[in-house]
Amino acid sequence: MLLAGGQGSRLGGLTRNRAKPAVSFCGKYRIIDFTLSNCTNSNINTVGVLIQYKPFLLNSYIGLGSAWDLDNPFGGVHILPPFIGETEGCWYNGTANAVYQNYEFIDYYDPEYVIILSGDHVYKMDYTLMLKFHKEKNAEITLAAIQVPREEASRFGILTIDSEDRVTKFTEKPANPESDLVSMGVYIFNGPTLKQALIADKADYLSQNDFGKNIIPNQLSTGKRVFAYKFQGYWRDVGTIESYYQANMESLKDGHFLNIFDPKFRIFSNEDIFPPHFVGSAAEIENSLICNGCSVHGRVSNSILGAGVYVGEGVEIKDSIILPYVKLHKGSSVYRTIIGENAEIMENCNIGARGQIAPAYEGITVIEDYHLITEGTVIESGMHIYRSRAM
Amino acid sequence: MSNAIGIIFANSGSDNLQGLAQERPIAAVPFGGRYRILDFALSSMVNSGIRTIGLVTPHQYRPLLDHLGAGKDWFLERKDGGLFILPGVMHSLAGSKDTFCIKDLQNNLEFLQKDYVENVLISSGDQIFNINFRDTLEFHKDKHADVTLIYKAVNPIDNDSQDQILLEVDGDQNVSNIHNKHSLEREELAPLNFVNIIIIRRELLLDIIEKYGSYGCIGLMVILASNIEVLKILGSPTNSSIGTIHTIKDYFDRSMDLLDLKVREQLWLGVDRTHTKIVDNPPTKYTSQAKVSNSLIASGCSIAGEVTNSIVFRGVILEQGCRIQNSIILPKCHIHINAQTNYTILDKSVIVHGENVLKGSESHPLVVLKKTVI
Repeated sequence: MLLAGGQGSRLGGLTRNRAKPAVSFCGKYRIIDFTLSNCTNSNINTVGVLIQYKPFLLNSYIGLGSAWDLDNPFGGVHILPPFIGETEGCWYNGTANAVYQNYEFIDYYDPEYVIILSGDHVYKMDYTLMLKFHKEKNAEITLAAIQVPREEASRFGILTIDSEDRVTKFTEKPANPESDLVSMGVYIFNGPTLKQALIADKADYLSQNDFGKNIIPNQLSTGKRVFAYKFQGYWRDVGTIESYYQANMESLKDGHFLNIFDPKFRIFSNEDIFPPHFVGSAAEIENSLICNGCSVHGRVSNSILGAGVYVGEGVEIKDSIILPYVKLHKGSSVYRTIIGENAEIMENCNIGARGQIAPAYEGITVIEDYHLITEGTVIESGMHIYRSRAM
Repeated sequence: MSNAIGIIFANSGSDNLQGLAQERPIAAVPFGGRYRILDFALSSMVNSGIRTIGLVTPHQYRPLLDHLGAGKDWFLERKDGGLFILPGVMHSLAGSKDTFCIKDLQNNLEFLQKDYVENVLISSGDQIFNINFRDTLEFHKDKHADVTLIYKAVNPIDNDSQDQILLEVDGDQNVSNIHNKHSLEREELAPLNFVNIIIIRRELLLDIIEKYGSYGCIGLMVILASNIEVLKILGSPTNSSIGTIHTIKDYFDRSMDLLDLKVREQLWLGVDRTHTKIVDNPPTKYTSQAKVSNSLIASGCSIAGEVTNSIVFRGVILEQGCRIQNSIILPKCHIHINAQTNYTILDKSVIVHGENVLKGSESHPLVVLKKTVI
């Protein structure tokens, strides 16, 4: 079960038109590619994708799942939107509620184990190893866990474990974390355990119907065998502008842990067909990732250009992430900025300009999808540019 | 639903492509960074709404099938129609020079018999173009033509191929004569080049196969030329750029044409895309030493060297200090530190070790065979 319905409001302009899992990442990918590819590479062939927030672009991107080899005669990808029945039916109210409402789907396939995944993390993981651990420990619930720097730990669910890796305590987003081992939002449940837990959670009127906040702590308190599977590898939550930017930029470093060039564990994606990118005579490209269909006539350094991006003459792009189909016209400069898909920057703009404001307030500039920046506009560093909406 | 099915003759070989066509038909020669030459004919048909396409394959068809699979990337994996492999006749080494050999079709008669459509669109598989045939199919239908030949007005000096078929077309678009260029004197040359794309009524094609099938390897164009009085043969002009690949010089020049924006606009940047096998490569990585200008670079490459006026295919690794000029580097080549190439075509998976210098000339580019280690 892949939870992909969250709004991702902390990604600001990038999720005004699309759900977070459909946001472009590292040029050619979308965030959900990583989780779907992990499923493929782990031989999981039945995936339910729970959607709710602005699902159109996400749905059309996933399609039948054939881009990830997930179109199977039995199983395959199922898009699961909220629905109404004869007497009940409502929007998904929390992650656990979303799965609860689709229990018919799980019952239909009647699996021994259910793995709960999140569509907004960037990582490569073989879930079969985690399942092996789950079986070995004779666990009822297994949480994937990873160590993070302690100052970041308070953004996550914190795990306390004993010497046998059994979880003794789980606290969601505490102010003072007592360990640096955090939950990755990847859970394996025994089928019956999940069903009982969801029914109990539904009956609890005080519950927020969330896996991290309610289900896991409640199951721990009823003495279930909950274990933590320690994942060694690269894992990033890209739920905020800051972490999204960092994770993208990390992919430019040499010897990056998330080896997208590895032919044995490939990340698949539903790619638009484009010709190779063209590099003009005056172009200079340095330490960057460039996708198909781009046309580069300016200077690009430490940046990522998505598919079909046009960079005009004299344009200077530095430390930025340019999402697919963006057009940058002559003479503009872009610094530390994320430009949303299909946005167009007219001539001689200065995006992410420094010097006007105190350095302490400088930050990552974000331009919303489909935005048109008129000629000669100066946008100061750290601004987030949205369109106003009368609706 | 389209009123035509397609046939692509992907079985033309060439002795003039040096190593590139040694183990593959021309149709399967990689072109333009991520495509194979066949993709252009195939995509044009698919973009014209044709969803049943037969592919006449040559003796060495492994690279073709490897590329095509079930035709999914061209939307040809279908219940109704789809991609059909039509094994061609085994020619003698020299191959048949006649365009569209009837024997190839006779061997695959069922493909033509079992369909219900009116017309068949036939194209050779050795040309680079992006043409939408919808209007021409409409024209063929409206005029109740037996055959429509697509032609292009070309200055004869620009085309020195001796195999070219030339047309004479009158004011009502009727084709009054079909010539082989080498049988004409220079001053007689009509400037209308047949571009090896033809629309023919399916029933008529079946009749022709029945009548001429026993003649050995006779070409469809020869039959049409000799029956020009009894058939309604029309001509339809095209303005699209069409590049035929017969010699290594053709291959080099047509590849380098892609660096011209006007050519790319016609071929790639319009509404109709050229489809090809999707391999999901990551984006191309440029290091801080990379220096690239006026070049086409496909995905999945890692570039630390210098690249000028060149075309680099998917998954190529160019190490620090290497210098690629006026060259075409096919997929998965690896060029080590400080190696240089100029006017060179490296076939797939070539490894060039450090400090080597490979140099051809503009008229005679150097071709390095597949998997060579230098």
